Amino acid sequence: ETAQDSPELLAKSSHLNSKPLDVSNKAPVKTAQNKIPLAHSKYESSKYELPKWKEALGELVIRAFHLDMDRVRAGPVAGSYYYKICKEQGLQYEDEPLSETAKYFYEDLKLPRTFSQWFQITVLHEWILFVRMRAMPFKYGRNYQQKLVDRTFSDIELRLFEEMKVNSGRIADQYLKDFNTQLRGAIFAYDEGFATDDGTLATAVWRNLFGGRKNIDMVHLESVVRYIYSQLYVLSRLSDREFATGKFKFVPPGVKVEKLTPKQEEELKAKTIAKYEALDKDPKTLPSERSRLSYTN
Amino acid sequence: SSSQVVRDSAKKLVNLLEKYPKDRIHHLVSFRDVQIARFRRVAGLPNVDDKGKSIKEKKPSLDEIKSIINRTSGPLGLNKEMLTKIQNKMVDEKFTEESINEQIRALSTIMNNKFRNYYDIGDKLYKPAGNPQYYQRLINAVDGKKKESLFTAMRTVLFGK
Repeated sequence: ETAQDSPELLAKSSHLNSKPLDVSNKAPVKTAQNKIPLAHSKYESSKYELPKWKEALGELVIRAFHLDMDRVRAGPVAGSYYYKICKEQGLQYEDEPLSETAKYFYEDLKLPRTFSQWFQITVLHEWILFVRMRAMPFKYGRNYQQKLVDRTFSDIELRLFEEMKVNSGRIADQYLKDFNTQLRGAIFAYDEGFATDDGTLATAVWRNLFGGRKNIDMVHLESVVRYIYSQLYVLSRLSDREFATGKFKFVPPGVKVEKLTPKQEEELKAKTIAKYEALDKDPKTLPSERSRLSYTN
Repeated sequence: SSSQVVRDSAKKLVNLLEKYPKDRIHHLVSFRDVQIARFRRVAGLPNVDDKGKSIKEKKPSLDEIKSIINRTSGPLGLNKEMLTKIQNKMVDEKFTEESINEQIRALSTIMNNKFRNYYDIGDKLYKPAGNPQYYQRLINAVDGKKKESLFTAMRTVLFGK
């Protein structure tokens, strides 16, 4: 079974030459000129550095008012970083080459290159993160979910106007409502599948990600189920502290996620605990870097 | 001959799909039903309804398509040309021995919960600390086993869990 051990190779291994409906040229995501950047504001850019005096003032404010950094962090981590990685997975423009991950979705799984398909791919990844966020302490996890959803819709609104050239606020609102309904439906369906069996999960994938494609290739469906569990497995091994500080990234579809042996798992845990114990003890650790979330779970 | 092998495999696939979990709530289309119909056709079996009567495959007429377009504003990207495409695309599929056996293998893998069991994620995510009853309540509601009372419903609205 060595030839099929990553979701991508699995999808590629199929000999069924199915030709799904191609509607790609009906609503392509065209322009790269007015492209909405992954980071909307300069503060989100990885290159941006806050002036030293602003940074010091910030740290002072956090210390003086005992700000709950785990709450504050939801914005930059879930609303910016986690949204960014969800958005990137299926992001594509007609006049640009596809990224490696996007190739898996649009070429291997033969999904149409449309805006709404991008949305479905993004929703799948957001749901994967939701599953982990629910396992955080309730008030923090819920806040992370909220920030991720808020950002999704503000970004879609921008993309509709700037990239898809929707020039009527009323029509944009209609699309947003439609996307909201799709989001709720998809999250519910994936949750149901996660809580019951892989058959139900595959049905949810078929109905949402594949848009109920009649001549679905079962190997593709199997590949996506494998993809989902690989991500969830990695997430289940991360502690709250690591996940909440943005230490997660999606495993590329071309990579097989190997299960850890009990010994490896123990070593990994010990390493994490040592790292955060040292960080918490260190008096030089800045107030903004502190967190009360568990690093042992 | 190989076409006979494909038909036999398609029959196996139909049998497998009949054991596929049914939808807990009603959707516009059911994966199970759509796929059973698809592979019954490949197997050369007539598609029958609940009473055992054979169903003639209905294609929408051009008039029906026109009426659909005129009545609704249409979801994103749906237009006349595409609808005609849909109608034309209901072509017979070509399976080979190899490709149909892959379909059987993939479907069995899904139905046997292979990846759920292999990646054995554990209660950290199945009974999430922030909301341990989340999935149980969802399943109870879907199965209609335990109805939410006004009290629990309001509690969810107000406090989120």
